[in-house]
Amino acid sequence: MSGSTDKRGAVRSDNPGSGTRGTTQHDTARAERAATARPKGPRSKEHGAPGSVTGTYVYGIIPSDVELTPGTRGVGDPPNVVELVRHKEIAALVSDVFTDRPLGRPDDLMAHEHLLDATATQVPVLPLRFGAVVTDAQAVVDELLAPHYDEFLATLNELEGRAEYVVKGRYVERAILREVLDEDPEIARLREAIHGRPEEATWDTRMRLGELINTSIAAKREADTDALVEAFDPLCVSAIVREPTHERDAVHVALLADTDRGREIEEAVDEFGTRWAGRVELRLLGPLAPYDFVKT
Amino acid sequence: MSIVQPSGAGASGRGSSSGLADVIDTILDKGLVIDAYVRVSLVGIELLTIDARIVVASVDTYLRFAEAVNRLDLTQTGKQKGLPELVEDMTQGGSKAKVKGATQGLLDAAGEKIKGLTTGEDEDEFEEADEEREPAPRRRRRREE
Repeated sequence: MSGSTDKRGAVRSDNPGSGTRGTTQHDTARAERAATARPKGPRSKEHGAPGSVTGTYVYGIIPSDVELTPGTRGVGDPPNVVELVRHKEIAALVSDVFTDRPLGRPDDLMAHEHLLDATATQVPVLPLRFGAVVTDAQAVVDELLAPHYDEFLATLNELEGRAEYVVKGRYVERAILREVLDEDPEIARLREAIHGRPEEATWDTRMRLGELINTSIAAKREADTDALVEAFDPLCVSAIVREPTHERDAVHVALLADTDRGREIEEAVDEFGTRWAGRVELRLLGPLAPYDFVKT
Repeated sequence: MSIVQPSGAGASGRGSSSGLADVIDTILDKGLVIDAYVRVSLVGIELLTIDARIVVASVDTYLRFAEAVNRLDLTQTGKQKGLPELVEDMTQGGSKAKVKGATQGLLDAAGEKIKGLTTGEDEDEFEEADEEREPAPRRRRRREE
């Protein structure tokens, strides 16, 4: 429980320089000919077992001058091998999935994000939202990479050397309740009114009290988030305030930053951790794929 | 997901891990979306996306807050040093020592809170057991620029 620095899930760059995958090298000319989106036809089964319904799951878009760690696996049960589908200077991270089986188990979600985050530590990546499946590898080129080639390439260039960091903070319940109780006489008064009395007899007062507390915490959230965003402004390219996902959320901010400033970001989070000790439990996630900074 | 736990004096990052909740916050409603007509539909995805939405404030929230503040022990000292202690500090000292006493009280309280907190996250039921799955693409060559 001590505050040791603990980096988990860092990318292992094992077997550096080992064999490049025999990746499907798509015929550029053919891809360009087919660049105009065509209506969705019957599902291709060319690489599925007879009778099975397969699709190509797409994780994200990366520059094509990369190699995959052999044997990297993705979503699905059992998970299939992740491959690259290249188109000129960009490529898609894909794997085969059965479309007649549910996808979305915790393992699937984790696999999707693990792959993208590990990728983001090495190369720029445009992450796709979970669950993007097209008919086959050819459709990845024809319907995704080729039609959006210029914007994908431009965005990848913009993201070079950058990644997302997420700062999450949650108020410690006792501390934050104590704070609002000390600051707002009305909250203190309503607490007195319900103290030691059964819930059924004090329903309305409890509702009013809870609402006041919620409003107070929301105001604190806004102030604390503003302070944090302002402090991180010099360290990052862009910041996005995420919606709170819990009523005790203190801060929930996504930052796009140069990865070589990762250390500074950690230190800045530590400073806030110290400033808010006992009041906010603060966590830093990252570097991650820039989920919050790709436009759809 | 990679997670960096801040190290400063045990002040932050305590008991935290990157669990399913973090992943859901991230990959279900963020990231690029493929045009609907290109997409092949998958069993179960839509449901899962809807389930992941979290209502932030509700009647339940209000009642929970009310009960939590009701249960707060206002007489407790130490870890949760608050108003009573500060008042005590201020009444003990003369007008000169007043400010100093209050400030020290706060600093002490903060120090003790650092030591005293052991509360864990309530969302970490899913530990990632998938370390071996760590991929990933490596840059084969960098373009000269």
